Amino acid sequence: MTTATVVVRPEDSCVRIAINGEIDLENAGAIEEQLSAAIPNAARCVVLELEALDYLDSAGLRVLFSLAARLEVLQILLRVHVPPGSPARRVLQLSGFEGVATIEG
Amino acid sequence: MPSSSPVTNEDRLRRIEQVTDTTLSHLDVGDLLTELLDRVRALLSADTAAVLLLDPSGTYLVATAARGIEEEVRQGVRIPVGRGFAGRIAAERRAVIIDEVDHSNVLNPILREKDIRSLLGVPLISEGEVLGVLHVGTLSSRRFGEEDAELLRLVADRVALVTRTHLSDLDRAAASALQRSLMPGLLPKVNGVEFAARYVPGEAGGLGGDWYDVFSLPSGRLGVVIGDVVGRGLQAAVVMGRLRSALRAFALEEDDPAEVLERLDSNVQHFEDSVMATVLYAIFEPSLDRVSLSTAGHLPPIIGRPGERSVLVNVPVDLPVGVSVGPPRRTTEIVLPPESMLFLYTDGLVERRGQSLDKGLDLLCDAVRDDDADAVCTTVLHQMIGPDGVGDDVAMLVARRRATSAIVPLNIVVPALPRTLADIRSTVRRWLNAAGAAPDAAADVLVAVGEACSNVVEHAYGPAGGTLTVHMELDDTTVVASVRDNGQWRPARGDNRGRGTALIRACSDDMDVVAGVGGTTVTFRRHLTEEPQ
Repeated sequence: MTTATVVVRPEDSCVRIAINGEIDLENAGAIEEQLSAAIPNAARCVVLELEALDYLDSAGLRVLFSLAARLEVLQILLRVHVPPGSPARRVLQLSGFEGVATIEG
Repeated sequence: MPSSSPVTNEDRLRRIEQVTDTTLSHLDVGDLLTELLDRVRALLSADTAAVLLLDPSGTYLVATAARGIEEEVRQGVRIPVGRGFAGRIAAERRAVIIDEVDHSNVLNPILREKDIRSLLGVPLISEGEVLGVLHVGTLSSRRFGEEDAELLRLVADRVALVTRTHLSDLDRAAASALQRSLMPGLLPKVNGVEFAARYVPGEAGGLGGDWYDVFSLPSGRLGVVIGDVVGRGLQAAVVMGRLRSALRAFALEEDDPAEVLERLDSNVQHFEDSVMATVLYAIFEPSLDRVSLSTAGHLPPIIGRPGERSVLVNVPVDLPVGVSVGPPRRTTEIVLPPESMLFLYTDGLVERRGQSLDKGLDLLCDAVRDDDADAVCTTVLHQMIGPDGVGDDVAMLVARRRATSAIVPLNIVVPALPRTLADIRSTVRRWLNAAGAAPDAAADVLVAVGEACSNVVEHAYGPAGGTLTVHMELDDTTVVASVRDNGQWRPARGDNRGRGTALIRACSDDMDVVAGVGGTTVTFRRHLTEEPQ
């Protein structure tokens, strides 16, 4: 079974969301729901912390791309914290995610 | 009120013969109890006779066999220990005679309905322990005497003996069934490591609370457990089952053996009543090179290397689980080179009467010699147990690393379902580590295989489903991987789709898709060496 933990820490007008574990086809839908529920309309920015995400596949990328598109409409800034060498970093780079959100180390 | 007529010596002998008659032994327990109750009823001219046994909690007596008041058994009459006629006998462990029953304080409604006038009851005692109560009653007033009580005690002895034997037979059978159902019949097949295990029940007490367990973790690591619940028989086996499940649950959530044992300890202290167990939990890294382990009062494992004498692993031992809150538990990391083995065991293997534990451990280190895993178990059992048998039960588990050169191709055939994806990744991670893949290369191969599998799960089959096959092999320092299905792909649906194939291409040196009537095969190659800077 694929498991991931979503930990949400509101910080002033920002929401920090750390995702640990793995995201694939099996749990991508559930993660998407948890992300949507974690972000209030009043938020000004969202920081996704993915350094402890051990696996991310295209089903997970789909969730992140959809989130980026949605947040852009809502004018909420999206930053993704994923240091070089972490498993999710390479997949995000290969998929061109830098084009839709800020990737920081 | 008539009292029983004086008993002659001849009568006495005849009565004793009636209830000690060995020809009854061939009857099964139920029939034997019925026959004994009938005989005692006849001998004492009583109208009713009943056996009540203590329930496992020791707080109630439950009607188990009855003559003249059969409904007692059918209705499952329960009498609290210490209260009422039968309850008093069990609590005070002595015969009780009631000449004239006072129905205002009789707890058993059936005795009241039957209008039983006089009662005589004795405790059933075996090995100094009260098992229950045997009583007889009459519908007319009657004065039971000491002679009657003597005879009833004689019957009670026989009933207690039979009951005790029967209960322990049942316990043994149940414990055995439980042990069989909980011990992994087939240990997992893992590339790069070979497992073998044995469980040997003890001579006298039979089965107990020893167990071993091997399972793969989602991270690609392997969990290995050996443990021993203090105690014997069914009770120990049942607790063992619960501890095994609890440990597996915590193992899914924690990567640190000390932390897993800490949580197991809290679980035992909260939910189990005076249970103590020793447990050793080890986690093998996917590379199999390193093992981190923590021991809760369990004997240290033995490490064996080819050409060297086996030695005890130097590991700090923390408190057993279920004892009390103690200092923080510790995890020790050890190195396990190729062809070496880790040997785990329970104390029944080394503890012998009249022999020091150190001597036993020394003998065991001698017996654990480099060989294939199953042969190690056989040799150890032969040398340590020999013809004498063991008093306590014994569990042992051998994990032996294969030589690195032997990287066997990996073959996975599973149902194409989302829930199998995580397991496939675990296996692929382990295989890549065993194959010596550089971290970046391993991550790329994992993504490429994952995407290809995900495509199969999502697109290859209709609602009827199908299988997903992964094959990986080494071509020098390059991995050749193929992911196959027997279905028909359909175009991706929805927004933000279609990244999978691009990812596979980006993560591999070359990639090829062959789609036909019989299914689709995605094949790719990826070198496993470090990227040139």
